[in-house]
Amino acid sequence: MKRRRIAERGIEGLLVFCGALSILAVLFITLFLFLRGAPLFKKVPLTEFLFSTRWEPTAADPGYGILSFIVGSLLVTGLSLVFAVPVGLSVGVYLAELAQQRFSRAIRTAVELLAGIPSVIYGLFGIAVIAGLNRSAFGGTGYGVLSASIILAIMTLPTIINVTEVSLRAVPRELREGSLALGATQWQTIIRVLVPSARSGIAAGVILGMGRALGETMAVLMVGGNAPIMPKGLNGMVRTLTMNIITDMSYAKDDHLTSLFATGIVLFVFILALNLVVQIALKRSLSGAEGAAGA
Amino acid sequence: MKKIAVLILALAAGASAFAQLSGSYTFSGSTTVAPIAFAAIEQFQKANPGVKISYEAVGSGAGLKALAAGTASLAGSSAELSKEQLDSGLKPVTIALDGLSVVVNKNIKLSNITTDNLAKIYHGDIVNWKDVGGPDLPIVVVNRDESSGTYVAFWEIVCQKPFGKAIAYTKNAIVAKENGEVAAKVASTPGSIGYVGMAFVEEVTKAGGRNLMVNGVADTIANVVAKKYPISRQLYLVTKGEAAAGSVEKAFIDYVLSPKGQAIVKSVDFIPVPKS
Repeated sequence: MKRRRIAERGIEGLLVFCGALSILAVLFITLFLFLRGAPLFKKVPLTEFLFSTRWEPTAADPGYGILSFIVGSLLVTGLSLVFAVPVGLSVGVYLAELAQQRFSRAIRTAVELLAGIPSVIYGLFGIAVIAGLNRSAFGGTGYGVLSASIILAIMTLPTIINVTEVSLRAVPRELREGSLALGATQWQTIIRVLVPSARSGIAAGVILGMGRALGETMAVLMVGGNAPIMPKGLNGMVRTLTMNIITDMSYAKDDHLTSLFATGIVLFVFILALNLVVQIALKRSLSGAEGAAGA
Repeated sequence: MKKIAVLILALAAGASAFAQLSGSYTFSGSTTVAPIAFAAIEQFQKANPGVKISYEAVGSGAGLKALAAGTASLAGSSAELSKEQLDSGLKPVTIALDGLSVVVNKNIKLSNITTDNLAKIYHGDIVNWKDVGGPDLPIVVVNRDESSGTYVAFWEIVCQKPFGKAIAYTKNAIVAKENGEVAAKVASTPGSIGYVGMAFVEEVTKAGGRNLMVNGVADTIANVVAKKYPISRQLYLVTKGEAAAGSVEKAFIDYVLSPKGQAIVKSVDFIPVPKS
């Protein structure tokens, strides 16, 4: 009896330790990022770092302005959502409400595979196919905002599809049945009842996808063009925050290196903000579902 | 008994030959030479446990100054030594060759380009192939990332003369992280031009791209060795006066020139010194 209790204590302790480990990891990463990046602001004013477009860290008079990369990141991410959200939503609705089982299983497998493809493969696909198509359709180099967004859209699709489907399935039966009983068609039920009551969950999925797009590095590096300039239109070359870090990392030293950590801080703050929004949205979606169930 | 004595004697002699080299040494000089120097020093110290060497990558000019002033006993240089430097007794030994090839996409049917035009393309003054005898097509410039040594080398060798020491490449260029990525981008992007270490030309030509002659000279190792090919340079280790036999400096230079040392040269993407 006693021995069993001791064993249970031990296991419990181990689990608590593992949980604490992940908290510690987050804390340490944050701490380390700020310790390495923040010293830049002793030499470069924060406003100049955020709002200047002059990125010449190895010049005699170095410039550390990342505005072009912030704009690049937002532009690429935003455009990828424009492509991915309508498609992802439609597929999610189809899987949750309309598809026959055989069909939905095939689609779900494909989506899962899509989520598992390494990003460097997406990048290769981008160089080989997307950039070429883009070049013949719109001219230019083929490397730029549009190519990067298309790749990112494909990469974020699985997240959006999955979360949409799950949120729709979580809508209480009563709502669906009530709507149908009142004489609404299936289509009306989906558009007027199911999607609105699952909207917080769907929003959370979109924002999760957004986080993935914002943080993606390898695939966009391979198709973005990587010129350190403000993107000239949707077909212009682009460098995102992540690309900026990875491009210079291997050789950078001193202030240049610090500026890359500072770029990391900006990215980290963006991702943190997105995550907070997701958590708030999810909480609201859960309490919304409970409220609906109670009604 | 006698045999054992001979053996002990031989062992002692062997040990003393190793033990001869010891002490701390400061080398200094070119950042281009640094990757070779760092790797070679690591191996050299393993073979000579008594020796401690540091290499300060401060640039060729500063390294040669330190050598002349006696604060360093060996300097790495990617620049040719001036007549004054040679007259003051500095002795360069070539340890590696560095050559950059100019590559273009297969749709650009050019065979030659001048360093002048090349400089203008990379400075952003020439933006269409028709200005250099090619088709009426915009030039897609592929450049390296700002912190790579090749990025600096290309500016120094090609663009510095017309446009000055401060690097001012056109910003409107695809930025590639590695020699291999330049090769891939040039091979796949119509109208593109790039520069790569000579070892990477094959990647472009395999994919259908072309390498150009520069000022009418083909980018071959033979032409680099003969100092005919314009986008090339030699990397030197320099000593003040001839390195004395039995000194660490001499042993280090010999090590870098040995097959093991030249393998290091090759592994960091430079061209080994051809055996004469």
